[in-house]
Amino acid sequence: MSDYLIQLSKNPIIQKLINTMGLPKPPVELNRNNLPWEERPFNDQPVMIGQIQQTAFTKTVAETVVKGGGNPFIEKDEAIFDIFHQAGKGYGRLPQSNVIDEIHENFAPKILIFDATNLHKPEGLNQVYSFFQSHLRSLAICGRVVILSQPPATQTDISAAATARALEGFVRAMAREIGFKGATANIVYVTPDAESRLEPVLRFLLSERSAYISGQPLYITAQVISDESIPKIRPLDGKTALVTGAAQGIGAAIARTIAREGARVIIMDRPSEDIPAGKLAAEIQGSVLCCDITTPSAGDQIVEMVSKTFNGLDIVVHNAGITRDKLLVNMKPEIWDQVLDVNFRAILRVNEKLLPIMHNNARIVCLSSVSGIAGNRGQTNYAASKAGVIGFISALAPKVSDKGIAVNAVAPGFIETQMTARIPFVTQLVARRLNNLNQGGTPDDVAEAITFLCSPGASGLTGQVLRICGGALIGA
Amino acid sequence: MKNPKKRRAVIIGGVRTPFLRAFGDFMPLSTIDLGAQAVKGLLKQFPIAWKEIDSMIWSGVILPSATVNVGREIIFDLGLPMEIEAYTITRVCTSSLCAITLAASAIERGEADVMIAGGSDSTSNAEVKMPQSLVHKFAPVVLSPKSTVKDYFRLLTKLNPKNDLIPQRPAIRERLTGELMGESAEKMAARNQIDRKSQDTFAMQSHQRAAKAIETGRFASEITPVELPNMKKIYADNIVRGNTSLDKLSKLKPAFAKNGTLTAGNSSTLTDGAAAVLLMEFEKAKSLGFSPLSSIRSWSYDAVDPTDQLLIGPAISMPKAMQKAGMIPMDIDLIDIHEAFAAQVLSVLKVLGSNQFAKDRLGFDKAFGEIDPKDINIHGGSIALGHPFAATGARMVITMANELKLSGKSTALLGICGAGALSAAAILEAV
Repeated sequence: MSDYLIQLSKNPIIQKLINTMGLPKPPVELNRNNLPWEERPFNDQPVMIGQIQQTAFTKTVAETVVKGGGNPFIEKDEAIFDIFHQAGKGYGRLPQSNVIDEIHENFAPKILIFDATNLHKPEGLNQVYSFFQSHLRSLAICGRVVILSQPPATQTDISAAATARALEGFVRAMAREIGFKGATANIVYVTPDAESRLEPVLRFLLSERSAYISGQPLYITAQVISDESIPKIRPLDGKTALVTGAAQGIGAAIARTIAREGARVIIMDRPSEDIPAGKLAAEIQGSVLCCDITTPSAGDQIVEMVSKTFNGLDIVVHNAGITRDKLLVNMKPEIWDQVLDVNFRAILRVNEKLLPIMHNNARIVCLSSVSGIAGNRGQTNYAASKAGVIGFISALAPKVSDKGIAVNAVAPGFIETQMTARIPFVTQLVARRLNNLNQGGTPDDVAEAITFLCSPGASGLTGQVLRICGGALIGA
Repeated sequence: MKNPKKRRAVIIGGVRTPFLRAFGDFMPLSTIDLGAQAVKGLLKQFPIAWKEIDSMIWSGVILPSATVNVGREIIFDLGLPMEIEAYTITRVCTSSLCAITLAASAIERGEADVMIAGGSDSTSNAEVKMPQSLVHKFAPVVLSPKSTVKDYFRLLTKLNPKNDLIPQRPAIRERLTGELMGESAEKMAARNQIDRKSQDTFAMQSHQRAAKAIETGRFASEITPVELPNMKKIYADNIVRGNTSLDKLSKLKPAFAKNGTLTAGNSSTLTDGAAAVLLMEFEKAKSLGFSPLSSIRSWSYDAVDPTDQLLIGPAISMPKAMQKAGMIPMDIDLIDIHEAFAAQVLSVLKVLGSNQFAKDRLGFDKAFGEIDPKDINIHGGSIALGHPFAATGARMVITMANELKLSGKSTALLGICGAGALSAAAILEAV
């Protein structure tokens, strides 16, 4: 399951050969972090921050950077400098100037943040251009770029809305340009009333846990009621989680990661998977529920187990899924039915049963797929089911937001699993490279993103599809 | 007092040995010897019937591995009654403050009426260890009764001269980060933008104030002379440089990093010394005819993340001790902060001024307030006087308790940082 090109590129002789022969650079091995959440995710990293005057988010950005351990480099504006100084003083992270002449030659910021929330006129885009034009070249390997803006849909002014939307195109294109060095770029749209929910999202996006998320827009709103404290470490302490299809593959990675952050995990999988499920349960001190998600009584079985052993659910990850690929003209009705039943209809059935036993501030995450967004040849059944999931979460989200429940989906692109290892070699060879980062993601990339979406700090995100695709070249 | 029966621990007084640079005259004295000299001096200055002493809490940082309970050995060496119970604690540079507050707790809980607390360290006698691999190779052969001469010969052939025979040099290195404490302080200086000049200025202030205190006899009652095995008597500290100047300090080379700002001049040095304090229950003190100097109004022991700012802890402990005492900065007359490094003290002072820090790390609405470095450590500190790790806390308590008495002031706030990112603070209140 490992990427032979990344393995090759680690060999110093091959590296030399590639350089002298002028061959195209092989993909960079991404910096990842699969250790428990830490107090300072970007400890001692230089963070370059640009903005158009002081904005409503300047203070939040300053605090996020210094609390996360970053060393801020900012422009010489007295008001902004003062805000960063106030924030940094308590953490020993005082701001430094980002004027190019004043920083030393080999300076390579790990993170670039541009706060464009004050951008109301198309002409203002020039400032975005000049900030990135001068700093993007020096961005470190596996660096992070984030642009902040206000959601186009909430803007009353037409030119402001259009300009905010323009930024998304800019970010998507920039993400393609920096992918060769393992760096990612994303845009975060924040409504003015959701300022307090920005910090945890930034901490995640700017950390090494978001290694395979690139070119994506995220929308932070105050839609979901949130009355929980937001811990920086062990975010899921004391929570109870259900992960379906958790015995192997991505599901097992999700269960491990969620358990690592403190949650008690119910590992649910088909009865035939009892051995791997049992092993995993022993490893993470979880519980096993052997039950096929498609049996009509599945929902009741979960409710029964939860009411017996636990006091309700805080996290549900609808992960169970299958593929049965065939061109539509050759697809038998059983295959069509099976895929839709496991991937889509079972989720609707089970979720309905689970909602009454879910606590306030709970989190629901479904697994969609880039195939569900873009469609894929031979996957009419799969794409329909995964697109249906997107419809499901967008419809469910507003109905449960007053209980503090956030509902989201993740859409993985090419992830290195046993499932993708079975794809014919040549197809696999090509598919893996069709993204900004020139490589496949790992189950842990998906698990880290889901764990973040399940954390108290993710209350700003609901009804969204977060793609974990390395900026796949296909799909919107 | 609401409850007339409530017991109250008071500090009667304390003494310390002179503080000498390591590998100087105190070299022949172990930490037990130094401790014994301090306790002997204490009992001389505060003559109390030996049978009244209930217990002793001693402390040390570099403890002799064969006799870790230094306190008990001090009792034997001084010929004190064998019935005096003693234990020895270690809590890095906050050790002896911790010993003192433990004693206060014990007195207030009613476990004892009269206690001695203190600490000593002899950095000159830090143990140099043979590699553990040598022990692991030797032990099976030496400990087995069946070993023959042949086994010993075979053992010798197995020894690796480089790995097994070169002793390990002791260093003040953080186990977690592998950093020397000075390297951590150097990072703090950079992060809090504490420049070389302000560090040197603070170091100079420490030396000048300590020198003045010595000159004017301010420490005379606090220091007990120490007799060496060769009968020579040591009366005075030998690290203080009253005649130092910014010019001299600025010429010193960085000690921990190539372009660093920390030098031998603005850091505390390896020191040998000991200090001891006598504590009693208030009513007991009255009945024995002692007049107490102060009581301990509150204290706070805390820890932070060693991978962040190793020595920033006092910025947590000091406001917390204030909160426990129900005090505001206005209520504090004297502030004494242990000077591990000028950079560390100045970083702490800076952070104390941050509302953000107060809100985030302490959950307080408002910061303590930024403190002018001139307003602390009125008689100098560890940079000038030296820092025998476990004696420093007691030294600070003694100096501040005496200062409260002499000046008629009412409260003193103490703050100490330590290895492992520990910290401590205490508030002394005149009685």
